[in-house]
Amino acid sequence: MRTIVDLISGGADIGRTRVFWIGFGVIVLLFLLYPTQASAFRVSNVSFYLLNIPLGLGMALLWGYCGVLSFGHVAYFGIAGYIYGIIAGNMSENTLGPLAGVAGGLLASAIVAGIFGYFVFYARVQKWIIPILTLVLTLLLETFLGQTAGYQWRIGSVLLGGYNGMTGIPWFRLGGFVFEGYSFFYLCVVVVLACYFGLRMLVNSNFGQVIVAIREDELRTELLGYDIRARQWVVFVISAMLAGLSGLLYVQWGNYITPSQVGLLQAVLPVIWTAVGGTTSLLAVVISAFALNWVTFTLSSQGNQYAMVIIGALLVVTMLFFPRGIIVMVAEWLGRLIARRAPSSQP
Amino acid sequence: MEPTIVIETRSLSKRFGGVVAADNVNFKVPSGEFRCMIGPNGAGKSTLFAMLCGIESADSGRILVFGQDVTRMQAFRRVRLGVGLTFQTNRAFHQLTVRENLTIPQASANLKNKEAGQMRLEFALDAFGLDPDDETKAAELPHNQLHWLEIAMVLVGYPNLILLDEPTAGMAPEETLQTAKVLKHLNSTGLTTVVVEHDMAFVKDVAQTVTVLHQGQIFAEGSLADITAHEDVRRIYLGRA
Repeated sequence: MRTIVDLISGGADIGRTRVFWIGFGVIVLLFLLYPTQASAFRVSNVSFYLLNIPLGLGMALLWGYCGVLSFGHVAYFGIAGYIYGIIAGNMSENTLGPLAGVAGGLLASAIVAGIFGYFVFYARVQKWIIPILTLVLTLLLETFLGQTAGYQWRIGSVLLGGYNGMTGIPWFRLGGFVFEGYSFFYLCVVVVLACYFGLRMLVNSNFGQVIVAIREDELRTELLGYDIRARQWVVFVISAMLAGLSGLLYVQWGNYITPSQVGLLQAVLPVIWTAVGGTTSLLAVVISAFALNWVTFTLSSQGNQYAMVIIGALLVVTMLFFPRGIIVMVAEWLGRLIARRAPSSQP
Repeated sequence: MEPTIVIETRSLSKRFGGVVAADNVNFKVPSGEFRCMIGPNGAGKSTLFAMLCGIESADSGRILVFGQDVTRMQAFRRVRLGVGLTFQTNRAFHQLTVRENLTIPQASANLKNKEAGQMRLEFALDAFGLDPDDETKAAELPHNQLHWLEIAMVLVGYPNLILLDEPTAGMAPEETLQTAKVLKHLNSTGLTTVVVEHDMAFVKDVAQTVTVLHQGQIFAEGSLADITAHEDVRRIYLGRA
């Protein structure tokens, strides 16, 4: 029976040595200390970079580990965000409203992904069609939400708002404690760490090994006695819930959500974060999701209209020169360098 | 007392467009037998295997495994009944390590057969020279070891019946001999074995019964001596000496 430590430090992700974990701890500590040194504005920006990481991790799990590419995971981001807004907005007088909104948002993204995934995987839809179907789902959602501008699109006291979006979404709160500003930053840190360690345990478990086997060869895996459709479906739902988690954090961050969050541009971003970082590493995707959000956010906030062009160019460079992802290939290179030096340092 | 029938087909048929891959095949393998299936290319051997393990569905007829009708059963459920299969083209997980290849099938192992299965697995790993803790990528293994690794992966599931599609394809004569030696030993422990093979030296070494397929039908069946003496089999497949 493997322990939690074995599962976290297993070989399914980069970074297993003591030096790595010391470095990891230092970086987490720096994050925890960041609000003491930075302005509220900068802390809010970093919260934004962090809140997108679960979406990226979901894509890494689904695409990188299970071999199923989705171009529509932002649909679950949007569903969770909108459902949270509807529930928490209608229960604004109730202290349990935001908690109910979180539960409802996650549940809604899981249910939609469960139904969609059931038809995709149990009908044995060919793998190359799945990205198209997922993209269609998110574009349909965007189109639907875009036409909800009228007063008739009111659910309880909450207006869906069409392309203007849903505004005034309440902060998340537990009892009397409201997560806003610095506390929201810490909430993001905790959520990211929980998702990262949870997924490390998952990919190092027997279940994780089987999903990697499915990625490598579906038929061989089935003929080792595994129901591959059930496992693909479970992974799809988990990754959709991770996207939903990002959606929930997003609506806390800005207190609004618009249909563009489930549009084509947003749909492509998690795929780019995963490809640039490296599909076979959770850590690489954590780093790339954070870094690329920082790049796009910084460029966009400075009025640079070429932010997406730069991100697109980065994807092309990655595909041409770093097919396994920039961070993964750099980590492999560092690993080889350390291994070469280690024997020579022996007496 | 009649031996238990491990796998059986009744009037099994399959067509691919105008091509008849299986035509009213009635095939029966008793428990503990080492059966070889031979026949010219396109005779329907691999299609029959694909139907037996559930990769292809039959147009008509029935398939029974340990007396249970599995004709419409999903492939993974048949594996859980104790059927293991290796492919004509090697399908070990090439990008994973030897250890991972041997760990992945563990969770679906047929635990009712654990005692015998564990002994068979340990024997095969030892005889094939495979280390279950080896962190070498499967893709880096020599051709013969890659085939042996896939056989070992199937044995991790503790099957009662193994279907091997050309297990010695591309092997050197001494590697073929080693494969035959291991498979014969596994069979001697009661593991029912069905092999599709073109290498007649291998077939002569291992087969207790030989089934000859031709144009999707069972053309002849019997002991090796019967088959090699069969005039029509010599004409269509073995060649006249």
